[in-house]
Parts: sequence; C-alpha cells; structure tokens
Amino acid sequence: MEEIVQISRLNFAYGEQLVLKHIDLTVAAGSTLGVIGPNGGGKTTLLKLLLGLHQPSRGQIRIAGLSPSQAIGRGSVVGYLPQNPRADRNFPLSARQVIGLGLVGKTGMLRRHSPADLEFVESLIERMELIDVANTPIGELSGGQQQRAFIARALAPRPRILLLDEPTTGIDRRGQQRFIELIQNLKTELKLTIILASHDLRAVTAVSDRLACLNLTLHYHDIPQRLPAELVYEMFACDLAALGGRAALPVDDVRAASPQQCPSKTAEKSPCY
Amino acid sequence: MLLAVAHLIHNNTNLVHALVLSMAMGVSCALLSVVVVLRRWAFIGEGISHAGFGGIGTCWLLSLAFPFLANQTAAYGIAVLFCIAMALSIGFVTRGTRMASDTAIGIFLVASLAWGFMALAIFRHVRGTPVNWEGYLFGDISQVSARSMIAGLSIAMAVILVLAGLCKEILAYSFDPLLARVSGVRAGAIHYMLMVLLAMIIVTGMGIAGNVLVTALLVLPGATALLLSRNLKRVLVLSVMISLAGTIGGVTVSSLWTFLPSGACMVLVLFVEFATVFMSGKAKC
Repeated sequence: MEEIVQISRLNFAYGEQLVLKHIDLTVAAGSTLGVIGPNGGGKTTLLKLLLGLHQPSRGQIRIAGLSPSQAIGRGSVVGYLPQNPRADRNFPLSARQVIGLGLVGKTGMLRRHSPADLEFVESLIERMELIDVANTPIGELSGGQQQRAFIARALAPRPRILLLDEPTTGIDRRGQQRFIELIQNLKTELKLTIILASHDLRAVTAVSDRLACLNLTLHYHDIPQRLPAELVYEMFACDLAALGGRAALPVDDVRAASPQQCPSKTAEKSPCY
Repeated sequence: MLLAVAHLIHNNTNLVHALVLSMAMGVSCALLSVVVVLRRWAFIGEGISHAGFGGIGTCWLLSLAFPFLANQTAAYGIAVLFCIAMALSIGFVTRGTRMASDTAIGIFLVASLAWGFMALAIFRHVRGTPVNWEGYLFGDISQVSARSMIAGLSIAMAVILVLAGLCKEILAYSFDPLLARVSGVRAGAIHYMLMVLLAMIIVTGMGIAGNVLVTALLVLPGATALLLSRNLKRVLVLSVMISLAGTIGGVTVSSLWTFLPSGACMVLVLFVEFATVFMSGKAKC
C-alpha cells in the first residue's frame, strides 16, 4: 500500500527546547493513525510540521511525495481541523460560505470555483446534516454544528489526508459519539487517510487503525487491524499511573479515561513505555 | 441649502475635486473598512496614518536642503513611502510574536507624530515662515487640486480592483489567517498586500480627512454596517452607502461653513450614523 506520509529522523526544537526527537513514521494511504500522548507531548507540533507551519530542525517530511509547504500550496492534498474551532459571532458569512472557503487554495487566484467542486460542497453540507442551517451566519451555529461545518470546510477540496487536532475537546459525550460515527463514515466513503491527534483515548481508539504514542519520541504501532486492548493498556499505563500512582488499570478504564487525566505540560518527558 | 451647494460647486473647482475624491474615497474605504473591522485592525490603521505626518515632516526638512521638494506633491510622495514602510513594519510585527502588536503600533505611532512635529519646528525655525500643518492633520478641501484628485481616483480604483479580484482570498484570510494558509492561500502575501492598500488609501484620504482622522473612514462604515447585517453582500452595500453619506456630507458641510475642517465634519457625520444605528438596536438582517 502507498505510504502517503513519510517522516524520517525528524527533530524539532522551540529555541533550545527539544520537542520532538528522532521521529520516524509512515502512514499508509487510506489508514487512520491515532496520535496519543500527554499535553505538551508534541502532538500539535507534529501536526504543525505536517502543515508546513514549522520547519524541522533535522530530518525530512514527505506528504504524497511533496514537502509539507508544496502539499499545502496545492490546496487539495491536506485538510485540517484545528483544535476547538470557533467562528467570530459577528462574521458576515453563512455556514455554506465558510465551507466554500475551503476551496480557495485549490481554485487559485483570479479563478472561479469549478461547478464540480461547488456540487461537492453541497453534498458535504447534506452529509454533515447542515442543510437546515446552511444559510445561517456561522456565528449563530451551535458548537457541534460549527465543528461539522469546519470539518466540511477541511474536506471541501477533497484532500487526500485529513489532520484532526483534538477534535473532541469541548464537545459533550453525545457529540463525541456522533463525531466518531461521522469520522468512521467519512473514512470509508471518501477513502481518506486520517491523522488524529488527541488525548481523548475513547475517540482515538474508536476510530484508529493504528496508534502512535508521542511524548518527545514516538512509539509507533504498525498493526494492520485494531490494536489489541492489552497493547492500548500497555501504552497508556505509564501516563495514567504517573497521575494517580495506579500501576494497573482495566482496559475499560483506559478507554473511558477523560482528557483531564492526562499529564500536564510540566510532566517529565519520557517514553510511554 | 441645495441651491447654496450647487452655487458653490459651480464657482469652486477645488470643491468639485474634493467631492469627486471624497466619493472615490468613500467607496474604497468602505470596502476596506469591512476587512479592517473584521480583522480588528483599527489601531493598525491609526499607526499607519500617523506615519504620514512623519513623512510630511521629513519632506519639510529635506526641502531646506533641496528646495524643489517644497511642494504638496513631494510631501504626499514622501508620506506614501513613510506609510508603506510603516505598514510593512506593522505587518511584520503583527505576524510575529516578539512583541504585542498594540504595543508596537503605539510606539511607531507616537514616534512618527513626534518626528513630524519636530521637523515642523525645525523648518519654522530655519525658514521663519508659517506652515499649513493643520491641513495635513485635519483635512483641507481647498488644497485638493485636479492632480491630487486624479491621483486619488487612480489609487481608489486600484484598491477596488484588487479587493474585487482577490475577494475570496481576502475573505478566507479575514475569516481565519491560519486556516487560510493551511488550505493553500498565500496568507502572508495577502496580509502585506492589505497593509500596502491601507497605506495607499490613507495617504489618498489625508487631503480631505487629514492623517489624524482618516482612519475613521476605515473603521466607522464597516463597524456601522456590521451592526446592521451579517450577510456579506448587504454589509458591503451598507458600508458603501454609509461611507458615501459621511464623506459627501462632510465635504458639503465644510464647504458651506469654510471655517470647519472637512475631516472633522466627515468623521462626525459618520459617527452620527454609527450612534443612530447603535442606539436604535436594529435587528440584524
């Protein structure tokens, strides 16, 4: 299977502080990689490197054979959902117009969006169950509706890869379940490659084919099917134990662990196991 | 009153120039003001406009050594350079994280104004002649020549064309610069282009509104229109209408009572429009 993301020998530092060290990672096309780890473990930084917002201190990133800047410049390779996206309440754009903004980079300057792309935007509005609020100002939508609108915006240019940063933060339990179902459906229907960074273990384990634990260094688990529960437990045991001093947790506890249970940014950088 | 205005227009070519320039400014500033308000750039506009006075002060000083610079065209030319340099500096600072942008703008703003006043004092001391500096600060429609009207019209037209041509990129950038960038929009280029457009329109408007008050044209129309609607097309149309009422109304009042500065008249008309809409609490359509 084609390896759509290739990261080799990657280091990244904010000034003197090393945030990512010796990262080697490949992601197969059509798969879903869940990146888990504590706050401050480098998950968002890894996504920003993939988006070309940061430059590696060392090493190389290739996305569909392109550098991150080239891939982003195409406008149709990578889609991105930032953490907790919220629109300005007074912004004079409807949900439909905001979703259409996702096409701007793909279409290019001084050109009109193609009819096929506009049709796809309409299909996304329907798929995201936003048809009733499509002409409502984006700021008037509920948090869950806004999140679906932002996912549709990211998908509008039909990207090959979708990057999701803490997508379930600030969403209630029912909304999280709905999000999980939505991602599972999108993955199948659009044949997307998804990289999902989160410390919400329930969401990550529910949608990911493969799991990587990131805390300065990356521990990648290249398992073709869903990870065995024992391995998920093994990966998280150190983090959860570091908080509560619990050396062992049942797998159900691991799956149900809330984001608050993750170590803070001040946690000592150490491998997960 | 209409007859008085018609009589004035018939006998005063400078007033015609000022009215034409104010209409061009009204439309271009109105469109740009929606972006300024949405991006919360009101203070950036303030910083850029004050750089204009520093530029004019520099021209006065240079004219002591190079007398051919002692004219209005040279003053506006150097003001344009100063404003663009200020706009790019502010643009650079506001994209970085080393210093809070409002702090940086506050520093640039007072430094430019202080430099302009110091240059003025030196010029007056050396020449021993008075300078019409109030016209630069608060606007003076009697100074609007045919040449400055044509220059203003050209710049306003260029601004409108750029805004129309790059509408979707500017909207994406205004909505969320980071999301725009990661979806392939050249957000950095759009950011600096908007800064340069601001600088050019500010210098163009200095003649009729003055560099202290010109930023009102870049804030009040958009702010008032956004109180009235959350539909983009309506916001743009309302912003242009509000702005034209302010600029034409201000110039007209100033031409009828010539002791009133045009800039102050425009700003007060715009403010009355804003206050009326704000107080009425009209539901957004």
